[in-house]
Amino acid sequence: MTSPKGTECASVLAQIEAYVDGELGALQCSAIEQHCEQCERCAAIVHGLRRTIGLCQEIGRAPLPPSVSQLARDQVRRLLESSHDSPLGRKAT
Amino acid sequence: MTRVEFLALPPVTDSENLHPSVQDPGPVTRNAGPDDVREGYASLVRAAASGDRGAMEQLLVRAQEVAYRVSLLVCGHTEDAEDVMQDALLKTYQYVGRIEDPGAFRTWLYRIVRNACLMKRRRRVGEPVRHVSIEQGGEDEARPVDVEDRSRRADEQLIDVWIGDRLRRALDKLSPSHRAIVVLREIEGLSTKEVAAITQLSEANVKTRLHRARAILRQQLEDL
Repeated sequence: MTSPKGTECASVLAQIEAYVDGELGALQCSAIEQHCEQCERCAAIVHGLRRTIGLCQEIGRAPLPPSVSQLARDQVRRLLESSHDSPLGRKAT
Repeated sequence: MTRVEFLALPPVTDSENLHPSVQDPGPVTRNAGPDDVREGYASLVRAAASGDRGAMEQLLVRAQEVAYRVSLLVCGHTEDAEDVMQDALLKTYQYVGRIEDPGAFRTWLYRIVRNACLMKRRRRVGEPVRHVSIEQGGEDEARPVDVEDRSRRADEQLIDVWIGDRLRRALDKLSPSHRAIVVLREIEGLSTKEVAAITQLSEANVKTRLHRARAILRQQLEDL
């Protein structure tokens, strides 16, 4: 038989992703936070999930290698210089 | 000249080499939500389509950066990533003049990038799994390092320098489809709805896959 604490953990775990994604209301957030204060296992899962998401978000903020950014700019310049019938040209008239 | 709003778009690292009409956006709010980022792209598209050369340059550079980042993280090949970059460049350039809904540009861009990645992956069917030579022991260690191995290691090293070897190895543990969901949702910051539109999955399916992928990543990062 599932213990009351086990039931509570299952309920929290079911909402953990919505919680870290900021999709829950204040009351639901508060209930999860109170549970995590008492439950190391759930607290560790929340912490690990936030850390994982944070690491991924850092990649999105990390600049690309300079050689790649330079390649992108060079390709744009070549394309715009070589295009006579360009969308810009048509719009400019 | 049309004023370009650079809402939440990542900075171009060497903007002085771009057209003089491009204003340096300065520090960028990367914590902005998907709506802000989408509107940032839409503003660039509107300006580019109205004849603003600087906006066109910004848009084309950013489209290529998205293409490179997504392709390299999902597929792991620098050579493919450069091809996908070029594909995004040409298609964005062709699309801007005909665009009817600038707000839909961002989703469209990721969709063409994803499709180009899928094409690249199909062409590589039958090749050894990525990154195996570094991870595997036993017999594989005794195998002579061939040209493909060296190329693969160079790709891995580049990714390691860029994002760190721990996260790269954790991402490698995901299937390509789960990795694509993580890259789009967590790294690129797209909403669940946008990811669903790009991958042609239901939002519920995106959430299910993201849940699975996050669990694997979390476990891998704890173990490493």
